[in-house]
Amino acid sequence: MNESAVSFSAVEKTYKRPRLLGARYHTAIKDLSFEIPRGEVTGLLGLNGAGKTTIMKLLTGLLFPTAGSVKVFGSAPTGRSAKARIGFLPELPYFPPQIKPCDALAYYGRLSGLSGPGLSLAVENAVERTGLGPHTDKRVAEFSKGMLQRLGLAQALLHDPELLVLDEPVSGLDPLAIHDIRGLLAGIHDGGRTIFLSSHSISEVEKLCDRVLIIVKGRLAVTVNRSGWESRPGGLEAIFVEAVR
Amino acid sequence: MMKFLRLSLAVTIDSFFESSRNRFFTIFSVFACAAIYASLLAGIMAVDQEARVITDFGLALIELVTLAYTLFYSSSVLLREAETKTIYLVFSRPVPRGVYLAGKLAGIMLTAAVMLAGMGIIHAALLALRGFRPPQFYVWALAGSFLKLAVITAIAFLVSLFSTSAVSTMVISGILWTAGHFASEVRFMTEHSTGAAAWALRPALWLIPNFQLFNARDAAGAIGVLPAAAFTAAAAWTLAAYLCSLWLISRKEF
Repeated sequence: MNESAVSFSAVEKTYKRPRLLGARYHTAIKDLSFEIPRGEVTGLLGLNGAGKTTIMKLLTGLLFPTAGSVKVFGSAPTGRSAKARIGFLPELPYFPPQIKPCDALAYYGRLSGLSGPGLSLAVENAVERTGLGPHTDKRVAEFSKGMLQRLGLAQALLHDPELLVLDEPVSGLDPLAIHDIRGLLAGIHDGGRTIFLSSHSISEVEKLCDRVLIIVKGRLAVTVNRSGWESRPGGLEAIFVEAVR
Repeated sequence: MMKFLRLSLAVTIDSFFESSRNRFFTIFSVFACAAIYASLLAGIMAVDQEARVITDFGLALIELVTLAYTLFYSSSVLLREAETKTIYLVFSRPVPRGVYLAGKLAGIMLTAAVMLAGMGIIHAALLALRGFRPPQFYVWALAGSFLKLAVITAIAFLVSLFSTSAVSTMVISGILWTAGHFASEVRFMTEHSTGAAAWALRPALWLIPNFQLFNARDAAGAIGVLPAAAFTAAAAWTLAAYLCSLWLISRKEF
């Protein structure tokens, strides 16, 4: 029961790009090891191309590590038992434009193993928690970017996962939407859930996270706790700039 | 097992509604109605062979229109889901990739069945309007078309997992579709070839599905009932293509 929510051990991910003759290899993640304890909000910071999305995909079983091992609650992330405990929000989630949010949520709820009254209740809860209530009669085509992000978050929350993996959850949102999502994530954290999020926004990570991992060129450059950046002049931004320069 | 069936059913229903909501579905439907009506004109021009021409022409058009849509849709659906990242929301859930693939395939087959049935009803109504009854083999002919479409959809899925674009998938599947209607000719050529030509043609015997098995219209002189072997062959080809697709998709990264 004491196992970490997430464990990366000497993980390497190399992409193979086939070419006319042979292939080109690109190592996105190299010798990456870290653990995320249960109930913690952990942030992942890095420049574009640092490997943040690769880490998220390795964690959700969409990519397979070239070397090392990734564990989610002690199991491989490709297994059904691990996936049943994860809620994933990819960057810029897409939903078919002609459907209504509750239909999309019902579909993803069924894929998460929900059915009958349990499914209806889960959809209702997710809609309410993400503030989509007034928009349930609209089609996804009419949604703004912020509402799409809320819908993305709602599908990740449907099955009440123990671990939320969020790739750029506040990307492109207006300040009010960011405020609402921050409040929602804080509530989820208070409920004892583990949250792992990546972001370009240092201030958001600073407000939400207990601990931050800074990735530079696929390697873990710095791990810093809240007390670490609060006691440092310039805060997390100064630590980040120093790490990536 | 029940859990997998429920998951597969959810994907099937979603796939069916998604394919039938596609704007190209409407375009193909309008085109199909126009084409079936055109069979009526061809029949009138055939004078004393009117019933036969309306039937054969209509059935051919029904099959071709359904083929065009199912090939178009099945060639692009997996690529599109990967590009739009919709697949992330599915494969990050406890959904086995084989179950997802089976559900998608079943959804497209259901769309094909609905298209065949809808166009078949319109065509039969037009025949009745001209005072003819659909021939005995009519339903079997539609069933044969469905079996062919099931096989080619499974093949298109397989090809889409290793080809670089939807167009190349459609071209490869289209070639296999055409060659499948000349399977006995390919067999004849293989048996009468020697050397390098025989070497090149022999694998084709395995790769090209024999669509001639499903032509109930060819047996129009008889009752036109499809033999059990046709159903077995369709199931075997579909299953083989599905298993190869499963092997590919289980190794695929997104």
